[in-house]
Amino acid sequence: MQSMPGRDGAPALQVVGLTKTFGGIVALDKVDFTAHSGEVHALLGENGAGKSTLIKVLTGAVRGDSGEISLLGKRVAIHNPRAAWAAGIGAVFQELSLIPDLTVAQNIWFRRENRTVLHTISAAALRRRTRELFEELELPAVDPNRVVRGLPVAERQLIEIAKTISQRPRILILDEATSALSPPEVAWLLRLCKRLAGAGTTVIYISHRLAEVRAVADTCTVFRNGRHVGTKPMHELDDDQIVGMMLGRARDRLYPERTPTVTDRVFLSVRNLRHGARLRDVSFDLREGEILGMGGLQGQGQSELVLALYGIHHAQGTIEVNGRRVRIANPRDALTAGIGLALVPEDRKNQGLLLPKPIRENVVLPILSQISHLGVLDKSAERRLARGAMTQLNVVARNMDQPVSTLSGGNQQKVVIAKLLQTKAHILLLYDLTRGVDVGTKADIFQLMRDLAARGYAILFYSTDMQELIHVADRIIVVSDGTITATLEGEAMTEEHILRASIVSIGTGVAI
Amino acid sequence: MSTMPNPPIGPAASAAGNLPQRAWATANGRHRSIVLAYFIAIAMFVITSAFTPGFASPTHIKELLIEASFIGIVGLGQTFVIIGGGVDLSIPYVLCASGIVLTILSGGQNGPLIWVIPVLILLGVLVGLVNGIGIAVLGISPIIMTLGMNVVVQGALLVYLGSRQASRAPPLVVDWTFSSVGPLPINTLIWLGLAVIATVALSWTTFGRRLYAVGTSRIVARFSGVNVVPIMIATYVICAVAAAIAGILYTGFVAQPYLGMGDPYLFASVAAVAVGGAPLIGGSGHYIGTIAGALVLTVLADLLPILNLDPGALQIVYGLTILVTVAAATVRVREGRQ
Amino acid sequence: MNSAEPRTDALARPPGERPSARGSHTFGPTGMSNTLAQWLRSGAALALTPWIILAILVVLYGARQAGVYTINELNIFTGETLTLILISFGQTLVIVSGGIDLSSGGLLSLVTAIAALHFGDGGAQMWWVMAALIIGSTAAGAVNGFLIGVTGMQPFIVTLATSSVFGGAALWVLPTNGGTVPADWSNFGNGAWLGIGTPVWLLLLLALFWLIFKRTRLWFEIRSVGSSQEAAFLSGVPVTRTIVTTYALAGLFACLAALYYITQSESGNPTVGPEYILTSIIAVVLGGTALIGGRGGFGGTIAGAYIPTLIGSVIFIYGIDSNWQALLEGVLLIFAVLLNVLAAFLVRRRSAA
Repeated sequence: MQSMPGRDGAPALQVVGLTKTFGGIVALDKVDFTAHSGEVHALLGENGAGKSTLIKVLTGAVRGDSGEISLLGKRVAIHNPRAAWAAGIGAVFQELSLIPDLTVAQNIWFRRENRTVLHTISAAALRRRTRELFEELELPAVDPNRVVRGLPVAERQLIEIAKTISQRPRILILDEATSALSPPEVAWLLRLCKRLAGAGTTVIYISHRLAEVRAVADTCTVFRNGRHVGTKPMHELDDDQIVGMMLGRARDRLYPERTPTVTDRVFLSVRNLRHGARLRDVSFDLREGEILGMGGLQGQGQSELVLALYGIHHAQGTIEVNGRRVRIANPRDALTAGIGLALVPEDRKNQGLLLPKPIRENVVLPILSQISHLGVLDKSAERRLARGAMTQLNVVARNMDQPVSTLSGGNQQKVVIAKLLQTKAHILLLYDLTRGVDVGTKADIFQLMRDLAARGYAILFYSTDMQELIHVADRIIVVSDGTITATLEGEAMTEEHILRASIVSIGTGVAI
Repeated sequence: MSTMPNPPIGPAASAAGNLPQRAWATANGRHRSIVLAYFIAIAMFVITSAFTPGFASPTHIKELLIEASFIGIVGLGQTFVIIGGGVDLSIPYVLCASGIVLTILSGGQNGPLIWVIPVLILLGVLVGLVNGIGIAVLGISPIIMTLGMNVVVQGALLVYLGSRQASRAPPLVVDWTFSSVGPLPINTLIWLGLAVIATVALSWTTFGRRLYAVGTSRIVARFSGVNVVPIMIATYVICAVAAAIAGILYTGFVAQPYLGMGDPYLFASVAAVAVGGAPLIGGSGHYIGTIAGALVLTVLADLLPILNLDPGALQIVYGLTILVTVAAATVRVREGRQ
Repeated sequence: MNSAEPRTDALARPPGERPSARGSHTFGPTGMSNTLAQWLRSGAALALTPWIILAILVVLYGARQAGVYTINELNIFTGETLTLILISFGQTLVIVSGGIDLSSGGLLSLVTAIAALHFGDGGAQMWWVMAALIIGSTAAGAVNGFLIGVTGMQPFIVTLATSSVFGGAALWVLPTNGGTVPADWSNFGNGAWLGIGTPVWLLLLLALFWLIFKRTRLWFEIRSVGSSQEAAFLSGVPVTRTIVTTYALAGLFACLAALYYITQSESGNPTVGPEYILTSIIAVVLGGTALIGGRGGFGGTIAGAYIPTLIGSVIFIYGIDSNWQALLEGVLLIFAVLLNVLAAFLVRRRSAA
């Protein structure tokens, strides 16, 4: 796809010398960025590199301290999201901008529906236009009257995308828009991007998934530490070069050495676990030293399984830990039984942490009874434990008293894991821990998992990234429609097998 | 804030030393609110005593402390509830009922106090349990539940009163309010004792830590193995018991309890907590701040009549002061939170 | 160079299969029974609960008192309740926006006080003062909205403080009940047309206003702000402006409530406010609007406003000891709220299935 300059040859978007500081931290340091009409321009960089800040400035959520933004050669000032819309900039954010208590149709149109004399909004018109929009975008028919609150994240993401595109932006920004989507939906989005670019839209595509980026982008820009590192046509860069630009150093292995750590001891034995409509019948064993990967499309019962093991849901069936049957009615029971959970919730809001509270308090929260006598806290024990945990996991922070909210996303993940490791849990449930995490931290987390397995922990981890499952897990179970449709080991752990098992429905499961 | 020559760049540099500034600002944003509240209380006191002879006399200070204790004690309960993310609007009639029932059950005598007071405390526990269960288990909004309970307690009180007359406060209870041990009124000692317990509980116990977690995020607390429901119920029990104690002491103060005597304490308890720097959404704040809030409100109420304002104007200034103080506290906390 | 294409070919499905293998409810056919199920799930059915409670109370009342199902009764009940209904309109808007307004009672007191003192004998003076009151109340409400929207203070404490300010102003202006209300005005409030009392006509007017207001962009913006302030901001909703407008409207309706109130009381009342605050919140909650914001509406509030009045009448008509009245009212209120909670719970369980 050729990038086309706009009027007078001016680029669709030109950012010059943009600087933004939050408190004392410089998020953007005199950044330049240029994108052209009809171009799909990928923006890559680790978490904290400045991509999100640039997007926030472009969409008016935040104002830059200095610098210029020009659209098609004309300088613009973007003070708030409304001004950004007016300027033709539309974005699909990581924090969805759908109003939970409004319906699908209302969400898409209410800010722009043409007014009648009385400033009213016609419900029938809303419904009709929603249907037309979804047809045009090749999305399956959606019930426009459904309230957004009840919808799973993936569908909300699709609606969010539809909403943004319905505004016909000249510049479309997709910030991790595929994080919640299944492979077919991702393919649809990539096709759509190409279609829009073909019609002259500028698409700015941000993602941690290099395969996607490569499939759709014409040009690639890399940020690091708030600075613009380089811009090149996509086909001139290979993965190693990109990662090198992102990290500023030669890329280490993303995935750790696979060492044999599995023993014969079965730590966790699950039989016929059932709960509600989503979790139909799951049975599996988890051994000491084993990393068991869980795959499958989102919403097939994986979260219900994990939450049932952790006591949030009350499921039927049998759970045995170390050969003994256990009843898990709440997280306290789970922790006592030795099962711990680190979960990135669907909406990514709190990372399982108390954001305004100090790191130290977060780390010891599950084990307060261990650092207290008769209910009174032993604060020096608390500090000791917290320091140890931070060192063990290499959490980058000045001191343990700073609020967790001041840490980068990757370091926050580490605190989540540190918190988990403080407990007596030897069976670790890691749910989607690497979502939205940058390459550097991912590598740390994978290495940590392998180290823990070597020390005898049993790990069940769920990821939507098939490559991760294949390279990190010793064994993979694929969950579809509430049951395990495939158990894969060794050579059989391939993307194709995982995918096949992911879209198979109950009764025709294929075991390989 | 920061006076470093070259602001560091990017997350890696955050380890280099800029974050201590922020950490201090955030942790101490709350502390600054508390200090501010004490400063205002003292400033008002000093300024008024400059213009009013006798304002700073030991007698008057004791009076102020006694008056402040009632707000302080209901504020104690409200502090726990608010930190936990809720609010308790049933304080007025728990206080009122406690006082009236005290006089009726004791008949104005000291003897029965030995069983009457535990009974009153128990009634407080009961009301707190009902509130807590409705809110934490059934998921009813705290405003509605406690508001409803306030009406229920009022109704129950009226039924109980029937044709009975409230009697006088037993002499011992009056003593508690007005007599002194050394320089301090017994009432103040009681308040001090409760304050110490509350402060220790919030800062130094597992209960306190868990309470702050629950107030910050119930979900995260639950996932971390904290038993959310009992903790929330406990806060409402603490609040009702505190209101009951306040009712007993207040009856000693007025000698003859009356219907509606608890009404002003609703506003006062919430205002004291807010002036003390605790955000009403929960998760942070401290009783030490509420004490400052109680002092501010008391000094304010005390000095306005000296300015010779009629009750209406008094109320206006009262409301404006709350507004200004809480605004100042809010802005500070926000600065620290960035 | 690394491979470029994702395995789109491996993912290509035979035509007719949906991209989402989730069996979700959204991506599917919409038939007749589906629509009914959708409606039940959406919680719109919850809006009926207060009306059902009201109907039960009316039946109870009618069992003991003859002539209940007449226009006359309707006139009387509405006459008693209209003040509450008016002030609850503002409260509904505020609560849906995610806040709460504890100051509208104080404003009510203040307006009755000023009106009773300055309406004089009616005529031009009354109209001028009325206009000033309307503008002033709206401005007072806007001040609330400004403090909440701009400084980020909690609505609870802000309106608590301003309620003290307004109430204090009312006491300052009119220390005890007093003043007079011109006959023109009180006659208007107590009049009738075609046998139907003015209060009922006013209620119909209000209902009509609501039906139109429900479909305005402002209402959607209020709901958005209450549902998720963050999402609203990102969607381009002018959050601060919406908050200020909401509280300004609450101030306006407090004023209208006061103007009606004086036709019934025929005097100013500087302490009438507080009881209306609490009952307006109860009316809104009974009407099905949740305090967390984002959902609900005024339709239910109308029923919710009648319920406390009717409870009082039912208790009275059944000859229950007046001492028990307060207790019964409290218990019935909690009971009604519990019913709402139960209904909401059932709806949520069915939609999660």
